[in-house]
Amino acid sequence: MADAFMAFPELRHPFEETPIHPQGSTTVLYQGKAITLSETGDADGLLIRPEDLTRVSGFELKPEGACFEDMCVPINGELLVEQGGKQWFSLTAFADLLGQPYVADEQAGVWSFAEIPAKRESMMVDAMVPDFEVTDRQGNVVRMADFKGKKALIVTWSSW
Amino acid sequence: MPVWQQVYDEINDPDFVIICVAEDTGGEAVAGPIFDAANPTYIQVVDENHIISSAFNFVNVPSAAWIDEDGRIVRIDEGTYAKIHELGDGEQAITFGTDVYSPALKDWVAKGADSEYVQSASTVTGNIREHSFDQQKADAAFRLGNLFRAHGLKEKAEQCWEMAQSLNPDSINFIRQDLTLTEEGSAGETFMKVMGEYVGAGRDYYRPLDIGTS
Repeated sequence: MADAFMAFPELRHPFEETPIHPQGSTTVLYQGKAITLSETGDADGLLIRPEDLTRVSGFELKPEGACFEDMCVPINGELLVEQGGKQWFSLTAFADLLGQPYVADEQAGVWSFAEIPAKRESMMVDAMVPDFEVTDRQGNVVRMADFKGKKALIVTWSSW
Repeated sequence: MPVWQQVYDEINDPDFVIICVAEDTGGEAVAGPIFDAANPTYIQVVDENHIISSAFNFVNVPSAAWIDEDGRIVRIDEGTYAKIHELGDGEQAITFGTDVYSPALKDWVAKGADSEYVQSASTVTGNIREHSFDQQKADAAFRLGNLFRAHGLKEKAEQCWEMAQSLNPDSINFIRQDLTLTEEGSAGETFMKVMGEYVGAGRDYYRPLDIGTS
């Protein structure tokens, strides 16, 4: 481990400067994933096509609202907006409603959303493991729900 | 990582898993060889965006959580060493780690809820660090910085990482990850100064290990 503390000099400037996405696209970082959207609305916040909502956030638009598992957020006029003859879903108004922080670099066309607090309440209140999804080195998706019936040690480390 | 493999082999229980997570923005290129050297059979994740640290509100590595069969966290957020490590020789030698954690882990895997090391839900929730709105926003900023870095946009990356550090000054993870890009590295003068200030202010970047020495 000691050698690793000096942090791999060749990786300090790892790549040539490359575009983040095709011209005119937007990249959204959401729950550990990077999603590229070819079409977004023109607004202060981030307007996405309603049909992209599930791909971005996992939430589905249903008659009762934007839903994920047993959580449903009723739709209001700030979430679904009309613009240029099209309907848009405001991902930023949705985040504000959920108390979900986000940061953006609008010049670069990238938005990064933090965790959704409501999804973590059961950890803070009842010590239940939070929902997360990561991919292991073999390419398998790792979700806590997959380990029901087993004990697990989750341990972090780093080279630095 | 070889030490966790040894612990995993010793426990050798099909109903116990280790999910070992490298919080390395350098990705597979940095963490992969270290994993490979351990010949691991446990689950290995390279977590460039520190998703796992965010999920459990960890501020440093190594940190860990024990999750029981029902998805309940029964211990969380301790400086998680599998053994006592020694670095360097003679007067320069330093030791870190603990020899009480692995036996406690083994006891829990063997005895489950009857293990004396299982903590109540209220103790666990009390041990979970606060993760304020700003600290969560720091996670979003950190990931945005990683995206910029991956595309060679160093200045934008630095801006985001600085934002992350100012929004969550408790995160040793963010500070040290950023320092990996400097000449002095993550364990140089800057880190020593930051660590001195952090500890000097009475803050623990590892929660004191609540396992008695025997």
